[in-house]
Amino acid sequence: MKDSILNFNKKIKDLFIYTPFIKSVLKDNLAYKGTFYLYILCKILCVFITYYLWKAIFLSSNNASLGGFTKIEMVTYIFMSFVCSNIVFISMTTKIGNDVMDGTISINLIKPISYKLKLLSESFGEMIYKLIFPSLFIWVGVEFYKMYHMETYRFLLSNTLLFLLSSFLGFIIYFLFEFCFGMLAFYSTYVWGMEIIKNSILTFLTGQLIPLTFFPDTIQKIFDYLPFASMNYVPVMIYLGKINRSKIIFLIGKQMLWILLLEIFSYILWKKITKRISILGG
Amino acid sequence: MRYYVKIYRLFLSQYIKSLMQSKLNFFVGMFGSLFVQASGIVFLYLVFEQIPLLNGWSVEELIFIYGFSQIPKALDHLFADYIWLLSSRMITNGEFDRYLLRPVPAFFQLMCDRFQLDAIGELLVGVALVVLSVNNGTVQITFAGSILFIISILAGFLIFMSVKLFFASLAFWLTNSAPILQLGYEISNFTKYPVSIYPKPIQFVSSFIVPFAFASFYPASYFIRDMSLWTTIAAEVVISCIAWIIARSVFVKGMSVYNSVGN
Repeated sequence: MKDSILNFNKKIKDLFIYTPFIKSVLKDNLAYKGTFYLYILCKILCVFITYYLWKAIFLSSNNASLGGFTKIEMVTYIFMSFVCSNIVFISMTTKIGNDVMDGTISINLIKPISYKLKLLSESFGEMIYKLIFPSLFIWVGVEFYKMYHMETYRFLLSNTLLFLLSSFLGFIIYFLFEFCFGMLAFYSTYVWGMEIIKNSILTFLTGQLIPLTFFPDTIQKIFDYLPFASMNYVPVMIYLGKINRSKIIFLIGKQMLWILLLEIFSYILWKKITKRISILGG
Repeated sequence: MRYYVKIYRLFLSQYIKSLMQSKLNFFVGMFGSLFVQASGIVFLYLVFEQIPLLNGWSVEELIFIYGFSQIPKALDHLFADYIWLLSSRMITNGEFDRYLLRPVPAFFQLMCDRFQLDAIGELLVGVALVVLSVNNGTVQITFAGSILFIISILAGFLIFMSVKLFFASLAFWLTNSAPILQLGYEISNFTKYPVSIYPKPIQFVSSFIVPFAFASFYPASYFIRDMSLWTTIAAEVVISCIAWIIARSVFVKGMSVYNSVGN
């Protein structure tokens, strides 16, 4: 018993090896502030395009709600989707691609640290930075918008906490997916092109482009069996309070199941691919 | 002139050779740009399941505007993609030195350096949507109309190239202007839709400061609505020329202040 506790303590201690990676990403982002802010500004512009489009769509509609969303809910959906996507979608494909192409990955393989955990800590660092800027700022903006436009405004702590939990699970699901996807870099050098394909498909499947309720029923059923809705759509719907309690527990359970499945899959994939490298003598 | 055509052909053949080495990359790139465009179309269709008209425009009309605006963008992507690198790394790593040493205008070399076949995906989507609009009667083909169509596509191409060249040339002073270029270029995403849905300041910026609206929405609306030629295509041609003159002179001015990093 005592042994196992000691062992567990050691494992936790081992995890602290990875804290410098988290810190270095944070420092990186702070050092290239100008570039980072302009990049964020770009993304915010994109969100506003969507906002004005929806505004025009609601003006042109005779119904007060579209696809089950009122105008206020839709605006909240768009902006909270942006908040969530900043936390969840921390792309690692380009990084893996670069590591593969310039051979840094082989150095990583001989170091006594796990490449996957290193990447995870790096994306965790970036996630923390983005959670504060721009996500928190936009979020506060959304709360003000709701306060101003809703008749009965209430700040629901439970929904907020569940939203954060679900987003965090989404972050891990996306990370594992990204890790598996990044392994394609071992087969094609054109990572930029693959990234574009991936992103354009994901904006659909994760509900960033349009809430999934707008899709035909059969397609929605297919989405239920894919991990993508768990990344963005589920957390935002939880925040909006459009899902009841028992369903929330089910969906969060589903997110955890996806984490487990993707973890197993990425583990097998990584084992296979690292074997391939050693055959090539890298 | 023939001399330049010959040089361009030589560059092109080199590029095609390198492309043949990895055909996979070509398809990855092409499908990449194809998917991006397709997602925009699916969005429009899903929205129009719910409403009959958007701000007075039907889905067929919006599809035409969308497709039309892709063509100048794709041409720019095809021929002038290397401008992106001028903004991001050419000044920092001294690559620009090379251009100054050769007896051919620097801008021409910039155009020669890359022929971006990824753009084929966008071009296909754009042309397909325009053909679709002709087939379902959203736009009528007339002889004069086709000539105007070609003119407005070319002017739109010039607008895209000028905006990119302008922001990229700032790199001569800032060493890296890629984020600014990205921000300016982002405005082209606004003008795929009728600009009347945006508030006045955004309309003004996208029409006169970064005039992408004149490369997409205004000329496209000439073909579907009885708009005056003067406020659409004629204005587009004038604005594209002004934009080109400004961008070109900033580029030339930038070259005169260029200090090599010394390699």
